[in-house]
Amino acid sequence: MSKIPRLSVRHLTKRFAALVANDDISLDVMPGELHCLLGENGAGKSTLSSCLYGLYQPDAGEIRVDGKTVQLRSPGEAIRAGIGMVHQHFVLVPGFTVVENVAVGTGSGWRLGRAEALSRIEAICSTYGISLNPHQFVGDLSVGEQQWVEIVKALYTGARLLILDEPTAVLTPEESRRLFAIVRRLTGEDLSIVLISHKMAEVMQSDQVSVLRKGRLVGTVVTSQVSRDQLTTMMVGRSVAAPTRAGDAKAHGETVLSVRGLTQLRDRRPVLDNASLDIAAGEIVGIAGVSGNGQDELFECLAGLAHPDGGKILLDGETLQAYSPATIAAKGVGYVPSDRFRDGLVADLDIGENLVLGQQWQARWRKGPFIDAAALDANARTAISAYSIAATGPSAPSRKLSGGNAQKVILAREFAKATRLLLCNQPTRGLDIGAIEFVHRQLLRKRDEGCAILLASEELDDLFALSRRIGVMFRGRILAVLDTKKATYDEIGSLMAGHRSEAAA
Amino acid sequence: MTDFNLVEWRFERRLDPRPAARIVALAVAAAAAALVCSLLFIAAGASPRAAFAALLQGSFGSLRAAGETLVKATPLIFTGLAACVAFRARIWNIGAEGQVFAGAMFAYWLQHNLTGFPPFVQIPVVIAGGIVGGALYAGLAGVLKTRFSVDEVISTVMLNYIIVYVLSLLLLRGPWSEAGGFFEQTPKVDPDSALPLLFSGSRLHFGFLLAIVTAGLVQMLLTRTPLGYEIKAAGSNIRALEVQGTNTRRLILVVLLVSGALAGLAGITEVYGVHYRLKAGAITGYGYSGIIVAILGQLHPVGVVVASVLFGALLNGATLMQIKTSVPSALIYAIQAILLLFFLAGWAACNFRLRRVARA
Repeated sequence: MSKIPRLSVRHLTKRFAALVANDDISLDVMPGELHCLLGENGAGKSTLSSCLYGLYQPDAGEIRVDGKTVQLRSPGEAIRAGIGMVHQHFVLVPGFTVVENVAVGTGSGWRLGRAEALSRIEAICSTYGISLNPHQFVGDLSVGEQQWVEIVKALYTGARLLILDEPTAVLTPEESRRLFAIVRRLTGEDLSIVLISHKMAEVMQSDQVSVLRKGRLVGTVVTSQVSRDQLTTMMVGRSVAAPTRAGDAKAHGETVLSVRGLTQLRDRRPVLDNASLDIAAGEIVGIAGVSGNGQDELFECLAGLAHPDGGKILLDGETLQAYSPATIAAKGVGYVPSDRFRDGLVADLDIGENLVLGQQWQARWRKGPFIDAAALDANARTAISAYSIAATGPSAPSRKLSGGNAQKVILAREFAKATRLLLCNQPTRGLDIGAIEFVHRQLLRKRDEGCAILLASEELDDLFALSRRIGVMFRGRILAVLDTKKATYDEIGSLMAGHRSEAAA
Repeated sequence: MTDFNLVEWRFERRLDPRPAARIVALAVAAAAAALVCSLLFIAAGASPRAAFAALLQGSFGSLRAAGETLVKATPLIFTGLAACVAFRARIWNIGAEGQVFAGAMFAYWLQHNLTGFPPFVQIPVVIAGGIVGGALYAGLAGVLKTRFSVDEVISTVMLNYIIVYVLSLLLLRGPWSEAGGFFEQTPKVDPDSALPLLFSGSRLHFGFLLAIVTAGLVQMLLTRTPLGYEIKAAGSNIRALEVQGTNTRRLILVVLLVSGALAGLAGITEVYGVHYRLKAGAITGYGYSGIIVAILGQLHPVGVVVASVLFGALLNGATLMQIKTSVPSALIYAIQAILLLFFLAGWAACNFRLRRVARA
């Protein structure tokens, strides 16, 4: 091509001690190009983008912006070089207005030239079709709008290359569509976008895809010339079967869990609002919703971690009286928390110890006053082989487990506990395709054993593939519980955004 | 174009420090501490060689000196273990000082009503009194933390002040003051309540034996029991423990009770093993030194015993050092602090390495 690439990476290598996170990576992004970085977790996407944004310094290699070699020792230098980044977690001040958030700390010096900032922001918004009220407080904006503020902020500092780190993870399907409309306006004005994602639907909208695997660049391809399956194979290194529900072979049995009018207040505002739900034995009920709409609160109430302020929970027809994790677990309930390293595992305990977390006083793990090391060891060996946990043995430290293997340890423990009910909050979040496949198979196996399963996921594909019914949560309410066979993506998508449809009635 | 020829040194975090690196770091830290101490000795006008020789002779030069070193180490072992148990669970019990007082006072309160009873009645009462007194006082901080979310660092430090003055009150005009006495102290206790001496010709008493056995029990508690498991888990991620159904409030309370009980034992070894009367001077300072000992011992019971003996040796050897050279014995506290700082630096250094990297 005759044009000079906007960004050109040459032989970039970044090591962390013995680990090579980025190994000799070279790629070009042309002006006006939407370039996707695709890879499993740990493939080196974040390391590469951190190098581009000056958060890490590469050990070798070169970065060129518009043909000029740049040294990016800090984000400040990256911004001056014309690189902007929108992080997954926004860095905005909720109590500031849009103008203030954009202008403060972005080269305005000591004085804040409000009028000038305002006119520049309005110009940016109208050029790219972003509809924002500059005087609104950021705390009052929706998540999608906050993301636009981040984009405007990057453009305000003069970015010609924008890095978007998994931008749709926190968005509804509708918000995602609007984001991509904006992205297309940006590329139309010759801006370059580097999109980090592992959602195939988004990846397919890009111009070029660079696939990373285990720190190496597998290849850069023109998106229109490849299929989803080809990309997946490049990413994983083998072909992967899409999850299938494998039929609702067994008829679902009696109701195991009944949630009636569950309400929880925080600062006198309901975070759970009159939520009701039933799950039968041998049934998976999915929970869809944009994160932060009461899913975590629902799970925490059901697991006994939080006290509901109203409503009741019936397990096998019996109303729960005491809400504590121990009493609920004793009734045959397993809980797979969404934040596995915070709520699910103790990093300093080894695998064998983590597999009995919370059960350390139970007679089967004890020999007199002491913990029965042999019993823990035998238990861990069984779990490691049954769940194919990649570890050296029962005494391997949990600290070093990858996300997938950490989740397998948690699944092994909770599945053993869950004789009646299994609560799974985002069990595949952040996992790579191989591990996701494994979790799905295990969930289906557990279902076929007659366990009732409540499954929340941000991936609608997963919910459609696994669950018999899908409940949609919005602002603490369960708006509707739909039969998966009759529901459509659009229907669920609009419920996630809070629009009640006729079908929901 | 770029200055790739330039080289710089950069600190990097080591992912898993090797044991050999730890030993080297410890040796370097010890050598550096010795060097700084030597400079202090020179500043005090003595030859470092003579001062170190006097220290060594004063602490281990004879059976009697060695016995005295172990006497000094005994209360430190208990307070060190107290800090070790609490700190491993990331419960910052800074109140061992007050719990030492509480143990001594509770034991004295029980025992001084039993004067005249035979030793096999009085001695168990004294030991139980130390355990219960220390545990109750630490338990107070535990209740404040679990019921009212009062930070244990604040509450334990404040409770230290309170009990020191309560003792002073009891001794000054209160019921415990020595009749016709001039000092703030109780009368001598019944000899039948004293902890028996282990050898003739040394002040080494039963308390030292008790300390060693206790260290073994604490080691067992930490590594092999469900409570030890919970302490380890709480020190790493108490939230996960709670999510999985462990009552963490009760755990915090139990850890503080155990920690306080251990500290309380330090109180009775001093009162009933060394001074035979209750006075503030007999039991002051061990709680805080115990924290240093526990950290030097890397929160490991065996390490606590070793560090306690080292500190006991320094305290004991200081007297001879002052007599033989002109170095004031108070300098020993500076040496203790220097040791701590260098060892902490050494351990921190284990987790890093220096690497040559290209680039300016």
